[in-house]
Amino acid sequence: MNDFDNFTATSTEGQLSDFWKGQYQEINLCNQVLDNIPALSMDATLKARYLLESKFLRAYSYFRLVRAFGDVPLRLHLPKDASEYNIPRTPKAQVWAAIEQDLNDAAAGLPTSYTGADVGRITKGAALALHAKVAMYQAKWNDVKTYTDQVIGLGVYSLFPDFEKMFRVQNENCSESIFEIQTALIPGNPAASNSQYSQVQGVRGVPAGGWGFNVPTQDLVDAFEPGDPRLNATIIFRGTTTAEGDAIPSTVPNPMYNYKSYVPFSMYVSGFNQGCQQNIRVLRYADVLLMNAEANNELGNTTAALTSLNKVRQRARAGNSGILPDVTTTDKAALRNAIWHERRVEMAMEFDRYFDVIRQGRAATLFGPKGWQANKNEVWPIPQSEIDLSAGILTQNPGYN
Amino acid sequence: MKLTVAILLITCMHVAAAGHSQDHVTLNLKSVELRKALISIEKKTNYRFLFNENLLSKIPKVDVSVTDMPVGEVLNQILQNTGISFKIFENNLIVLRPSEEGRLAELQDLKVSGHVSGSGGAILAGVSVTIKGTTTGTITDQNGNYSITVPDDAVLVFSYVGYEDQEIAVSGKSTLNVSLQLSTKIMDQVVVVGYGSSKKLDLTGSVAQVKGEEVAKQSTFSPISALQGKVAGVQINNTGAPGSPPEIRIRGVGTVYGNPNPLYVVDGVWYDDISFLNSNDIESISVLKDASSESIYGIRAANGVILITTKKGKRNDGKPTINYNGWAGNQVVTNQIKMATGSEYETMVNELNVINGKPAQYSDPASVGNTDWYHQILRNAFVTNQQVSVTGGSQKSTYNFSLGYYNQNGLVKTNTFNRYNFHLQNDYELAKFLKVGATINGALSNSNDIDGSIFHQLYSAAPNVPVYYADGTYGDPNDFKVGSSNQFNPQVTVDFFNNHTRTYKLNGNAYAELKFAKHFTFHTSAGGDFEQSEINNYAPVYTATIAQRNTVSKLNVSRNENRNWIVENTLTYDRKINDHSFKILIGQGAQEYKFYGLSASVQNVPPGSGNQYLSLGTASSANLSDNGSLSRVSSYFGRLNYSYKDRYLLTASMRADGSSKFSESNRWGYFPSVGLGWIITNEKFMESQHLFDNLKLRGSWGKIGNMSVPANLSVLTVTQNAGFIYVGGNGSTSTGASINTVVPPATYWERGEGTDVGLEASMLNSRLYAELDWYNKKTEKAIFDIPILGTIGTNSGTIIGNQATFQNQGFEFLVTWKDRINKDWNYSISANAGINKNKVLDVSTGANPIYQAVGTTGSNNFNTRTIIGEPIGEFFGYQVIGVFQSAQDISDYKSSGGVVVQPNAKPGDFKYKDVNGDGVIDAKDKVVLGNPNPKLIFGINTNVSYKDFDLTLDFQGVSGVQVYNANLGLRYGTENFTEDFYKNRWHGQGTSNFYPSANIGGSSNYLSNSFYVEDGSYFRIRNMQLGYTLPQHCLKNTGISRLRVYVNAQNAFNFFKYRGFSPEVGGAPTRAGIDVNVYPLYATYNFGVNLTF
Repeated sequence: MNDFDNFTATSTEGQLSDFWKGQYQEINLCNQVLDNIPALSMDATLKARYLLESKFLRAYSYFRLVRAFGDVPLRLHLPKDASEYNIPRTPKAQVWAAIEQDLNDAAAGLPTSYTGADVGRITKGAALALHAKVAMYQAKWNDVKTYTDQVIGLGVYSLFPDFEKMFRVQNENCSESIFEIQTALIPGNPAASNSQYSQVQGVRGVPAGGWGFNVPTQDLVDAFEPGDPRLNATIIFRGTTTAEGDAIPSTVPNPMYNYKSYVPFSMYVSGFNQGCQQNIRVLRYADVLLMNAEANNELGNTTAALTSLNKVRQRARAGNSGILPDVTTTDKAALRNAIWHERRVEMAMEFDRYFDVIRQGRAATLFGPKGWQANKNEVWPIPQSEIDLSAGILTQNPGYN
Repeated sequence: MKLTVAILLITCMHVAAAGHSQDHVTLNLKSVELRKALISIEKKTNYRFLFNENLLSKIPKVDVSVTDMPVGEVLNQILQNTGISFKIFENNLIVLRPSEEGRLAELQDLKVSGHVSGSGGAILAGVSVTIKGTTTGTITDQNGNYSITVPDDAVLVFSYVGYEDQEIAVSGKSTLNVSLQLSTKIMDQVVVVGYGSSKKLDLTGSVAQVKGEEVAKQSTFSPISALQGKVAGVQINNTGAPGSPPEIRIRGVGTVYGNPNPLYVVDGVWYDDISFLNSNDIESISVLKDASSESIYGIRAANGVILITTKKGKRNDGKPTINYNGWAGNQVVTNQIKMATGSEYETMVNELNVINGKPAQYSDPASVGNTDWYHQILRNAFVTNQQVSVTGGSQKSTYNFSLGYYNQNGLVKTNTFNRYNFHLQNDYELAKFLKVGATINGALSNSNDIDGSIFHQLYSAAPNVPVYYADGTYGDPNDFKVGSSNQFNPQVTVDFFNNHTRTYKLNGNAYAELKFAKHFTFHTSAGGDFEQSEINNYAPVYTATIAQRNTVSKLNVSRNENRNWIVENTLTYDRKINDHSFKILIGQGAQEYKFYGLSASVQNVPPGSGNQYLSLGTASSANLSDNGSLSRVSSYFGRLNYSYKDRYLLTASMRADGSSKFSESNRWGYFPSVGLGWIITNEKFMESQHLFDNLKLRGSWGKIGNMSVPANLSVLTVTQNAGFIYVGGNGSTSTGASINTVVPPATYWERGEGTDVGLEASMLNSRLYAELDWYNKKTEKAIFDIPILGTIGTNSGTIIGNQATFQNQGFEFLVTWKDRINKDWNYSISANAGINKNKVLDVSTGANPIYQAVGTTGSNNFNTRTIIGEPIGEFFGYQVIGVFQSAQDISDYKSSGGVVVQPNAKPGDFKYKDVNGDGVIDAKDKVVLGNPNPKLIFGINTNVSYKDFDLTLDFQGVSGVQVYNANLGLRYGTENFTEDFYKNRWHGQGTSNFYPSANIGGSSNYLSNSFYVEDGSYFRIRNMQLGYTLPQHCLKNTGISRLRVYVNAQNAFNFFKYRGFSPEVGGAPTRAGIDVNVYPLYATYNFGVNLTF
């Protein structure tokens, strides 16, 4: 872990190859569907929906890959035979284009919402929101504005009033939720109830807690404005009691843990992973509003930018007028900083910060002192094991050889 | 008798034709030796000559020219003036004697008859009875009786394969009953080989045979365990809880993906496991080691074949023999690792806190209590084996019936295992030409099992936590601030683990054997194997400690069934024509293997003793899964054994197997073999030497296959993986499935190829026997699970196919010295050794290694590697070059480029060698750390007997092998440490440059490295036994015919440097030799009784 914190991870770091392989496993499953389902005779509506859901999931995996590695091998079909096993990296522009194509298709054909057992399936809003994010990483601000406006215009999403409770199991798939990875504790079937998302980030050193990875830093604590309620809904401090009533002993190894992934200890069932019930929130409405604000500011639509930004602050305020006043600056640079700041605290511990900082061109400033190097650390190294297996067909990113 | 005789003719034994039908002869010979003339007469008539060779040496050459003259007259003519007289006896035997002896006239024809029996009074049919100095003779009939007419001063020679020859002077007696003794000469012993048996001397391959009694002597559950140290080149790892089979590797690791254990053939039926057999029921075990001997088993032969023959009844007067064999004893842990005490533990945890920048958590380590968890959970465990057999036979049938009971307690207090078994064997001779018989084995075993992680738990458990509090509740690690990683009280683990296994096995075969047209034998047999195992696991609701509790009870029931059958038909043609001996075998077989497994679980079943029913649980929580497989094999095989003049041996065989496991185009495999032997001592030029009794050079080559790989490898399968379950927004779920494999290009069996060259010598009047073998065994197209590019997106990240070639090459030695000092003292000493080198020759992916992480923490913390040019599963990791003593030390450790190599290290951490000098420690700096495949395995076996006492001492060992001591580094927090670690750990500058600080599980210390790799060589006294057989006079009038009592100690003395539990670790290929959670090494002390009525 230290190697990631210090930007010294090398190409042989196992976590990297696990991430790489994990994304391609997902892509393989999507390609299985996309290549095999068209030939099946089945309900045409359902068939079309399955194909579009697969396109969204494939786009999501490629997005995570291209954001992390830059150029990556692009597979849009199953390999026909062994000659198609070993393919080189595709320039990232083409990967971005393929992602956008998939998302356009998905947004055009998927329904706006679902009910009952289908809640949690991929919606039009999810495809649009992901498309906005994809555009944002390419600084295509017109596209970001277009797709976020479309999400807002769907009229099905709203900010959930209680920031802390939004992340609890009972509020999964709430009005703010756009895309969540669905998990569950399935009685009698621990093998299928295997999400470790909450477990690995759980409070270490207490029963029913977790492993205590991905812990917040003091720098993050300091980033919150005075009185911001989101601080205590983002971070569990040792020696405190959570809103759900779990006392965290002062003896636990780390001073802080991720609150957003936390599942109350009382929900622990022996034989299952701690917190396996916790859905992974991938896209939520506040994210869309902040992307909308950032795009409008970049495009000079200051008022629209402020409106979206302040919606997020207003919810965070939870009725307390003494904190988090509305942002009013119309200076483009100052507003940009305000949006970036809001994005950091609103979305803290939700896995965008690192890529945001690089996207914003601030990595050398913010991460430089910790060892981040320009022209190298913008992307991670391609896993050495994959380069070895490819017999040199896959090439390494600059600075990692 | 100092008579030197020459055998003039070698023909079939049974030549004693009656009558004088050819008593006239026509000869026309000019100036020939008298010997030649006599040979000519023998060729043209039924007469045979008996004479002293010296008698003929001084006789001048003779001329013979006669036409249709009676033999007597011819002899009168040619023996004139030679000083030789002759007399023709009733059975066409003509005895020549010097005339001056004058006794010839007194010689009388005498009809001698009698009965020949073998060991234990068995009837021996087909024993050859010849008149010494001639080839004239007869054989015993089906009832062991013979009758022969001989000169009354003749000497009779009785010989039978596997028995010592016996010579008896007739001395005028008309009845001679003979009891033959089993041969102790190795070369004379009958060795069981594939589809037959052979005299050891006639073998062209490498086959080792161990007698059942040697195996039954030892206090092991599995008869195979008892082979440890007995057979050169056979490595046996005895690990695991009671009832678990040992691992056996014949000439190294022969397969990686499939089952690396050999094929067991018991009385002609093929098995993967022989735990249904009681050692006392075994007559002999043959280990086929070279490819030529194995290849007659074709597709199942690649990892060696072990042939087991069970005991049969013996034909005698019908009186049953009752045997009782029993022993009982205790198992004692021999290498108890000392763990740190409570105060030592707290001292180290405090040090760990400080290293991690936290305040020390224990205020007063010195005053804390101590729990010895090993002492708490382990015990000296009882073990016994009891067997009663009734055996016997009449003239036409034999029987052997035995009942056995084995009971072994595990070292862990709740662990028990028992087995009841029976063995029934019957043979019937329905007619002179037709034999039928059947064997049935049954076994029922029960076990209370142990939690799979208990041994590592005992290693890690915090010693400052008491087992129980004063109020009787469990000591809770949480009350002692032991970290979350170490939240268990092993007593709780043991108390609440309920897993019972019950296994039923029923198997056996029936056969018929038909002899016809003098030289032909047709043998047909049908065998079946039925096995069912039931595993019941119940997790009750309990609250023992904060971390060890269960809120929902769960009952899990599984049933596994195997139903296999095998049918084989063979036809044998056995003939000797003059100097040529032939044995031709052709055969055909078919087999089926069927498996079905069912597993069901349900929650909220109330606790109860006895049977618990799934239907008592909550229906909605029920979970069900099943799976099955079916495969069939069809086979054709043949073999030729040929010998010329008993000097030159040829064995050639061919087998064709078709297996349904493989796709049609790859279904059939062909497995040829050839073996050549040269019995040098039977050559003329060796006649004058006296050093060698037998000397044989042999060489062989063969192809073998391995189909013990999973079925349907080449079929694209759809998997209902639990991870594919769809979870809906309201918690609803539905099953998902996907193809998550990539189809490999059609797979087929692994192809083995082996060459063997051996020398066997029996010397100094058979007292010294030596055998030397060189072998080269290759597994080609081994089924290997090799990594493929992640971008293909398979679940496993690997692809299975025939994609590797590896090799085992080595030498084997065996030297045995056996002697009798006088009538009271006998002794033997035998030493064997196998040197093996294992190497991967080729992998289809090129130089990409296959990594495994076994018993390590962290992601991709690989500690074994399999790569071209190196042995399978070698240990791999960082090279420790010391321990950082101070911060200064860390900052001083720079690469040549001035980069601080381990900037994040803390004092007390391992200092790793920066192999590539780039200033960073990463996977590119990993090096080979050791080899789990032993280079040398050896055994020394000795027996001494003095009067009625016998003493056995068996030594055994391995060397040139390493063990990865994973227990040391497998830590998530505050697991306990060993006392050795406490005493030697780094705890401040200058305290140690070898052991790290208490932070051994942190920093980068947990990464696979050379500190964890240790010498795994060991040497031990495998077995010691002192026995006393009561003298016969003490047993008079008791009805007891033999009573022996003995005391035995197994594994009592072990010598090794290894710091862990046991250097005898084992493990699957590519994951072997890693010590984590291994069953402790133990000694067994027992006494036993062998009783025969």
